[in-house]
Amino acid sequence: MVGLSAGEKHFIYGGIAQDLRTDGRQRLHYRPISVEIGVIPQANGSSRVRLGATDVIVSIKAELGRPSSLHPDKGKVAIFIDCSPTAAPMFEGRGGEELSSELSLALQRCLLGGRSGAGAGIDLSSLVIVEGKVCWDLYIDGLVVSSDGNLLDALAAAIKVALCNTGIPKTTVNLGASPNDQPDVDVSDEEFLQFDTSGVPVIVTLTKVGRHYIVDATSEEESQMSSAVSISVNRHGQICGLTKRGGAGLDPSVILDMISVAKHVGEQLMSSLDSEIAAAEASAEDQ
Amino acid sequence: MEYVDSLTGFRLDGRRPNDMRQIRGEIGVVAKADGSALFEMGNTKVIAAIYGPREVQNKGQQANNQALVRCEYSMANFSTGDRTRRPKGDRRSTEISLVIRQTMEACILTHLMPHSQVILIEFLVHILLKFFMYFLPKICFLQIDIFVQVLQADGGTRSACINAATLALADAGIPMRDIVTSCSAGYLSSTPLLDLNYIEDSAGGPDVTVGILAKTDKVTLLQMDAKLPMDIFENVMQLAIEGCKAIAHYIRGVLLENTKQLECRRGI
Amino acid sequence: MLQSKSFVKKTKQGRVVKVVREHYLRDDIYCGAPSCKVCDTSASRLSNSASTILIVDTNVVLHQIDLLENPAIDDVVVLSVVLEEVRNKNLSVFNRLKALCTNSLRKFFVFSNEHHKDTYVKEMVGESPNDRNDRAIRVAAHWYQSHLGENTQILLITNDRENKRRAVEEGISAETVESYVRSLGKPDLLDLVVLSSSADVNMEDVEDHRPSKKKVIYSEHKPMSEITSGLLCGIYHQGKFRVNRYNPFEAYVGSESIGDEIVIYGRANMNRAFDGDIVAVELLPQDQWHDGKSMIITEDEDDEEEDVHLAPSSADDAPRSVNPVQPTTESVPPVSNRPAGRVVGIIKRNWHSYCGSLEPMPMPAGNAGVAHALFVSKDRRIPKIRIQTRQLENLLDKRIIVAVDSWDCLSRYPSGHYVRTIGQIGDRDTESEVLLIENDINSRPFSTQVLACLPPLPWSLSSEDLANPNREDLRHLRVFSVDPPGCKDIDDALHCKPLGNGNFEVGVHIADVTNFVLPGTPLDEEASQRGTSVYLVERRIDMLPKPLTEDICSLRSDVERLAFSVIWEMTPDAEIVSTRFTKSAIKSCAALSYVEAQARMDDSRLIDPVTTDLRNLNTLAKIMRLRRIKRGALTLASPEVKFQIDTETHDPLDIGMYQIREANQMIEEFMLAANISVAEKILNHFPLCSLLRRHPSPTKEMLEPLLRTAAAIGLDLDVSSSKALADSLDRAVGEDPYFNKLIRILATRCMTQAVYFSSGDLSPSEFYHYGLAALLYTHFTSPIRRYADVIVHRLLAAALGIAKLPPIFQDGPQLTGIADNLNYRHRNAQMASRASVELHTLIYFRKRPTDTEARIVKIKSNGFIVFVPKFGIEGPVYLVPKGNNGSDWVVDEAHQRVTKVGTNIRYNILQTVKIHMEVVEPQPNRPKLQLTLI
Repeated sequence: MVGLSAGEKHFIYGGIAQDLRTDGRQRLHYRPISVEIGVIPQANGSSRVRLGATDVIVSIKAELGRPSSLHPDKGKVAIFIDCSPTAAPMFEGRGGEELSSELSLALQRCLLGGRSGAGAGIDLSSLVIVEGKVCWDLYIDGLVVSSDGNLLDALAAAIKVALCNTGIPKTTVNLGASPNDQPDVDVSDEEFLQFDTSGVPVIVTLTKVGRHYIVDATSEEESQMSSAVSISVNRHGQICGLTKRGGAGLDPSVILDMISVAKHVGEQLMSSLDSEIAAAEASAEDQ
Repeated sequence: MEYVDSLTGFRLDGRRPNDMRQIRGEIGVVAKADGSALFEMGNTKVIAAIYGPREVQNKGQQANNQALVRCEYSMANFSTGDRTRRPKGDRRSTEISLVIRQTMEACILTHLMPHSQVILIEFLVHILLKFFMYFLPKICFLQIDIFVQVLQADGGTRSACINAATLALADAGIPMRDIVTSCSAGYLSSTPLLDLNYIEDSAGGPDVTVGILAKTDKVTLLQMDAKLPMDIFENVMQLAIEGCKAIAHYIRGVLLENTKQLECRRGI
Repeated sequence: MLQSKSFVKKTKQGRVVKVVREHYLRDDIYCGAPSCKVCDTSASRLSNSASTILIVDTNVVLHQIDLLENPAIDDVVVLSVVLEEVRNKNLSVFNRLKALCTNSLRKFFVFSNEHHKDTYVKEMVGESPNDRNDRAIRVAAHWYQSHLGENTQILLITNDRENKRRAVEEGISAETVESYVRSLGKPDLLDLVVLSSSADVNMEDVEDHRPSKKKVIYSEHKPMSEITSGLLCGIYHQGKFRVNRYNPFEAYVGSESIGDEIVIYGRANMNRAFDGDIVAVELLPQDQWHDGKSMIITEDEDDEEEDVHLAPSSADDAPRSVNPVQPTTESVPPVSNRPAGRVVGIIKRNWHSYCGSLEPMPMPAGNAGVAHALFVSKDRRIPKIRIQTRQLENLLDKRIIVAVDSWDCLSRYPSGHYVRTIGQIGDRDTESEVLLIENDINSRPFSTQVLACLPPLPWSLSSEDLANPNREDLRHLRVFSVDPPGCKDIDDALHCKPLGNGNFEVGVHIADVTNFVLPGTPLDEEASQRGTSVYLVERRIDMLPKPLTEDICSLRSDVERLAFSVIWEMTPDAEIVSTRFTKSAIKSCAALSYVEAQARMDDSRLIDPVTTDLRNLNTLAKIMRLRRIKRGALTLASPEVKFQIDTETHDPLDIGMYQIREANQMIEEFMLAANISVAEKILNHFPLCSLLRRHPSPTKEMLEPLLRTAAAIGLDLDVSSSKALADSLDRAVGEDPYFNKLIRILATRCMTQAVYFSSGDLSPSEFYHYGLAALLYTHFTSPIRRYADVIVHRLLAAALGIAKLPPIFQDGPQLTGIADNLNYRHRNAQMASRASVELHTLIYFRKRPTDTEARIVKIKSNGFIVFVPKFGIEGPVYLVPKGNNGSDWVVDEAHQRVTKVGTNIRYNILQTVKIHMEVVEPQPNRPKLQLTLI
């Protein structure tokens, strides 16, 4: 846990009030983002995103599965987040579980839409190979390697990058003789399908410290927050999900205000991510 | 299956029996940790982070007159070819944690750090407060946490973890008597093979993991599963030791480079 | 030095798993040319003066391996990409290529292009693996050309037109196999060249002037994808295709999916499958499950013909009888309950080369000396093979080897090519070599590496041997050996010493072969490959080099030898009180023959110590034998034939049944006991990796022929257990003395052969040895001539703690592989011995037409099969001339007899008949023994 002295706390509050945070940023400024892709060659897609001293790795593996009987026309996506003890000693043993499941749930809510999967950032029907029989199951595994606040934004950004990096093998389906047979799916070695990731939202977390809210809080700043609202925004400026954490209540008008700020910041975040992805792809090609 | 091609003498991945995989070490990969490093042996990729020395968190664990070294080994869900949700603290990771802890403990100068100055001050306050009641010299002990995280497993993870931990400990500035390096060797197709990868490892042949103190050439870790005749075992172990020495040479280079960069940054 | 490149592979193991493997590229792979200025030339294999270096592509290796094996082709670079493709496509070709690459006399060099930094190519988008590999070959050829410069020509040999075109475009010289061989100017090499399929079609146009031209003879094989899905949903069944040794138009496919053997009748249903192929079979509708006898005759011009052959000694050798007798009721189509099927596709070919001769044919006119001929294999299971040759005149009277290349559905016969000539047909040496080749027996002299493992000669017992604490000095014991006359590889000797308490100390001393054959040495590898010595009539093919076989290991008399001893203390009732095992040094005092030993025992005037020992041993052996028989051991009989060979010409002078004496049985009894004691000891120590020998109980179906015969003659046999069978065999006494033996011979051939196995592979209940009625059995007593015994010696030594167990024993699959190889070699050695006897029988009767007595053992529609006890041979006697189908003989199935219609001339099973034996030559160069009734 972050232990701060009274002076330090005061310094943080004061800085935020004056729009000059301890690390020199303004309230609505992100820390520099660095993006790497393909860090886990064994996965179908992977990324590493660093937001200041926050460092996360996301891997995406695709496996053949069976669509659920409720939604025979949709593939399945599962998100699991793990907090490595390398990020903080408190995550040792089962210590990271609570935070891990909180993050997993928040990301699921923000990225996968409702129970029906209707509002998902990924087009789940593109994962179906044979309706009702075979589909791709995407397993999104996130690992927090180093933690300095704002894990949710970093993870969501990493998932978006990893999805861009993901190639799903092309399949050829050999339908069995009778309709009840499990079809035989042949997976291509060379050809991959890319996802349409334009609809994948990013998450912007606005953290209320004192009377102001800031984006991309460091762990020191997070320790002083009264509440935080995570808003997932897609490219079209639509709100895809929303989570509020922290006990203190917020005025509804403030929330609306926050949403419009998030939309604006989200656009900036997305374009900086896009250019980072392009740069990472270019450097991956070079290698 | 032929693990060493009898016509070309190459292993499946194009190495000769005495070749190690490509290794890479990087210092300072976890910003918030006191010391950290990444170590790669081929496709095996691990991160080690050091927290400490700091006050012993769980008083029950403290040992007399030396710092407490703790270690946790964990594997990421995506680290193996087939994705599995693995529970924390399964038997295998507990065992590897123990192995790493014991190996690192052997090289950390634990007796130099039973306590620190901060605690001395606290000790004085303590005396002032409780002067009239008791006079019990309370000593607070220090602990060092080593966390190793496997990002990708392709054989030889415990060796890679030890090598990463060595780099991370050096990065954290923990006093060590020597650097420990580790490497494994196996015996397949009647040939001793250095640094088995996953395919070779899963062949079920003997796998000898060795850790040495690089300066003194002393073996601090030795593990083998499966059976091996004595004379062959000697050769295999010798090969693993050669591998350890090569890694030690590389690690020294990484540390030296890192120090140079630090000097440069500080403008020395 | 290491350069890393990861590439991505996907495997499907039910789930999709992405596999990432490292692939290191290196700069320390050398080109192998001694003239190279850049590379390390110490490991170079190509010749110094090589002006042309050949690079072959995968298909050239796969199809032209016979050509590559010819010494005229040299200075070949084999790329690792080619090696790998060959390994995946055809393991036997791969092994031959590997042998070429390791043969120091040949100049074949393996270049690891896949790991060389300059020749590794990455698969391009949209490029098939085949195209990628072809490109890799071209890149490597190009690298060689620029690496070695102008003085050396690099020639890419490929039959792939596209590949050749591209190579030429890229500036690499490339030629097809045929044009290259032509350029060498050696016409006989051209026979070895396999023509590409396009040439094949042309050939057919020229040759095939039969009305069946272009007629589709066989149905098309189904595509692999269809077979796979068919197998999955159970329409097709997969299994190994085995042709009936005695009827090439009948085959069996053991299918796991239906748990039974599927019978395939006729060439059309066999659909081009060869013996040993892995095939996919479709079941025929049940109303077609009759036996295909009638089909066979009408379908093929070949008529089924029984040869005279040596009487089989077990069910494995005997013809399978699927109701060989024509059914008596003609009107109802006979429906059997054995599933019948037809081959729809071949999953894996088992083509190799075959021994045989060309079908006699007139010399064709013109056609530039190129002739098409039909090759007939010695192995009757193989169909005729069409070949093209330029040396027809030379080949007609020769035994030759031919390899199969292709078989399309338009041609009745497969096409192949000539490989080499063995020699004149009928010549004894040629025919002996043929039978060795047919049975895959290596009769080449031992290599220098193998001979280098021998101890220096002359060998004698050294003081170190005696100083070894694990070796007991037993030279003071009165040890002697009893063997067949003239035996030089004596691997067992005995001693028998009365003890003070009235008991006997009996020792079996076995040659200590493992003292000289050390695990992992070339000598050991060679012995392991050969598996057993092979005994032909006129020669012996040793498993171990002669100095070991006949001298160093052989327990000859009056010399000191090393031994591995089993020593029992036995009561006078032959109960074993204690057993111990030890390595020892012995000195045999006498090497007796069975006849000598028998004579000594029978001569009551002799009371010398050795004779007394013999009598004591014999007394014990008789008790042990009786006890064993009581336990249910079968006394089986197999007719063993003995030749007397002219020492000069090696031609047989006399022929007769081998006589078994009491002395033989005595030795046998102690060897059995030693083997059983050893089996118990090693299994106790190494329950998972002991090499044992088991004899499976015969099934009801296997005993069927015996029961049918017995029923026909009114004999009641109880086959419920080996004990019951043994008892009923004892009771089966007929009016003539030979009757019992005949029944035993028939019983023997219902049994399968005993086999070696690793104890880790089976459960203890399956270890049973039926014939010996022993729970455990192994082979320990003949290490000079059987490799199984060598293994058992090592196991026993390890069990006693005097030697380490070689690491191979920890490798279960490898051990199973060794056991399988031993069974294969053992069986082949037996087949070769029998074939050798048959060959000599033929040579013997060539000059001596003979009249003799024979017994009918099987009734057939057009005659019967007789067994000639005097010579141990079996063959058909025809009552109806060949080709005459309107038979006036009727078979009575129930009573197993054949009767001439309207008369009471009839022949019963087991009846004695008089026959005339004579060698006739129905076709030139094809002598055969013919039996006729007098």
